[in-house]
Amino acid sequence: MATEKRVMSLFEDETRAASAIEALRKFPWKLEEVHSPIPSDKISQALKRKKSRVGYFTLAGGIIGFLSGVGLAIYTGIQWNLVVSGKPVVALIPFLIVGFEFTILFAVFGNVLGLLVQTNLPEFQSLHLYDQRCSGEHFGILASCTPGQENDLMAFFREQGGEARLI
Amino acid sequence: MSRMTYAQIEQTVLNTLSPAPLKYWAVVALALLGLLIGALCWAYQIGVGIGVGGQNIPVAWGTYLINFVFWVGIAHSGTLISAILYLFRAGWRNPIARAAETMTVFAVCIAGLFPFIHLGRVWMVYYMLPYPNERTLWPNFQSPLVFDMVAISTYLTVSSLFWYTGMLPDLAIVRDRATGLRKSIFRVISLGWTGRYEQWRHYTRAYLFFAALATPLVISVHSVVSWDFALGIIPGWHSTLFAPYFVAGAIHSGLAMVLTLMIPLRRIFQYKAIITEDILDNIAKTIIFTGLIVGYAYMVEYFLAWYSHNIVEQESFRWRAFGHYSLEFWIMVICNSVVPLLFFIRKVRRSIPWLFGVSILINIGMWYERFVIIVGGVAHDFMPHAWGEYSPSFIEYGILLGSFSMFFFLFLLFVKHLPSISMTELKEGVRQGGGHGH
Repeated sequence: MATEKRVMSLFEDETRAASAIEALRKFPWKLEEVHSPIPSDKISQALKRKKSRVGYFTLAGGIIGFLSGVGLAIYTGIQWNLVVSGKPVVALIPFLIVGFEFTILFAVFGNVLGLLVQTNLPEFQSLHLYDQRCSGEHFGILASCTPGQENDLMAFFREQGGEARLI
Repeated sequence: MSRMTYAQIEQTVLNTLSPAPLKYWAVVALALLGLLIGALCWAYQIGVGIGVGGQNIPVAWGTYLINFVFWVGIAHSGTLISAILYLFRAGWRNPIARAAETMTVFAVCIAGLFPFIHLGRVWMVYYMLPYPNERTLWPNFQSPLVFDMVAISTYLTVSSLFWYTGMLPDLAIVRDRATGLRKSIFRVISLGWTGRYEQWRHYTRAYLFFAALATPLVISVHSVVSWDFALGIIPGWHSTLFAPYFVAGAIHSGLAMVLTLMIPLRRIFQYKAIITEDILDNIAKTIIFTGLIVGYAYMVEYFLAWYSHNIVEQESFRWRAFGHYSLEFWIMVICNSVVPLLFFIRKVRRSIPWLFGVSILINIGMWYERFVIIVGGVAHDFMPHAWGEYSPSFIEYGILLGSFSMFFFLFLLFVKHLPSISMTELKEGVRQGGGHGH
């Protein structure tokens, strides 16, 4: 809703930030975002989100890579149909080496693609909803509420041990 | 380091990005000069022909291949420290991982140049690429040289992506503390990273997969490099020992180069509180381990030659120790497997001059190891009438100088323009002793 009010709260301690996230659930306010300078297990537990699905992208990339690597080696072997050093034109053991390298390469491409897709990067629009101290030593919680409740929301965060400001 | 606060960590690292003094630019100019000398030598070789090098029949692979294997080896330790130690949850890697990864990226770039240099007619390099053409001519994927091209290009791509991905949160820190043009540049290269929980959730998982994929890759790459030799039938090359021997040697030289780079870095940039003596001590202990493996490999090569009853193999190894290149052989043995034993003495491991001195000797020894293998094998193979000798030409020395200069030139630019230590991982280390997401 365009009329929603957003409040950014900053905590110096991740435990307090995590408990503020849990306490926020008891109120009708909406938790929009949590920013932190490091990946935090405590915040992760408080948010109760599932494991990342980046691995599916990585796995898909790896499978595509293996098939591409071995496929390319077989295809080129058949195209240049010449027996070299008495070895078969389609020699699977050497081609597995090519397949292995392609597996790693494409798995990494999948991994990076998965990361970009899942995190929605690059993305510059939400920088204005972010406090630069969150890359330093603060844990930031962005929450929204209906107009008129912003003072209550700010008071809640202050009570939890954070500082709060309206965005 | 554990007593540092987040703010102190940031301050220490960000201070290194402040405007550089004149002395820094003087050193950069010196490295650039060396790089230009190397580039001029290469340009001369392109103009005149590959004959300006000292390569001959039978020694067709001279310093260009020696440098190639040397730089690929240097590149290995970056991934060892970054990926393998990450998987083993070794917290001491955090302060040195970024610089080691950077070393990897630059070293692979330089290594990748040498096949081009060795090619002579560098404009024909596209023959290596598998593309449809009117002659229906394709690269032979059974050849270890083609394995090598695939492995090295994969390693360069993966190392670069690993390096950049690992740096994203730090680039955002620089963006948030910078002003003006630097802020605009870092805003773009940090891709808008804000440390949202959703970003960390996927990032930590992706980083783990990166490390898990880079670990087998690093082992495969130097195994593939070793097969450039081991799949040939030349005495001294044709051995199943080569893959583990090369991997251990690569890590050995890479760790030595990490010491060579870290010791001046911690002094110049006031990193003593972050890159502590304990960390250098741990690197030295790892060097003992890799040095023992390398020494063991040297001995096993002799055992295999003796045990095989193959007179050509036996003569090749006798000549290696007492023949024309015996000086290079003994430099190799002493620098790589005897000198590192000094690290058994705690005082040596805790002494910065000793650490630096030993690291330089290992670098020299590992370059000579490649010399002994690459030149020594073909110079004295099956047929006495085909035996020959080789010594590098002035042009080859110029290109060697250019490669080292290029490495230090790039590294010097890096340490002054990008965060040379991972602030985020150090912050995590302060809290719990691990890397991303541990």
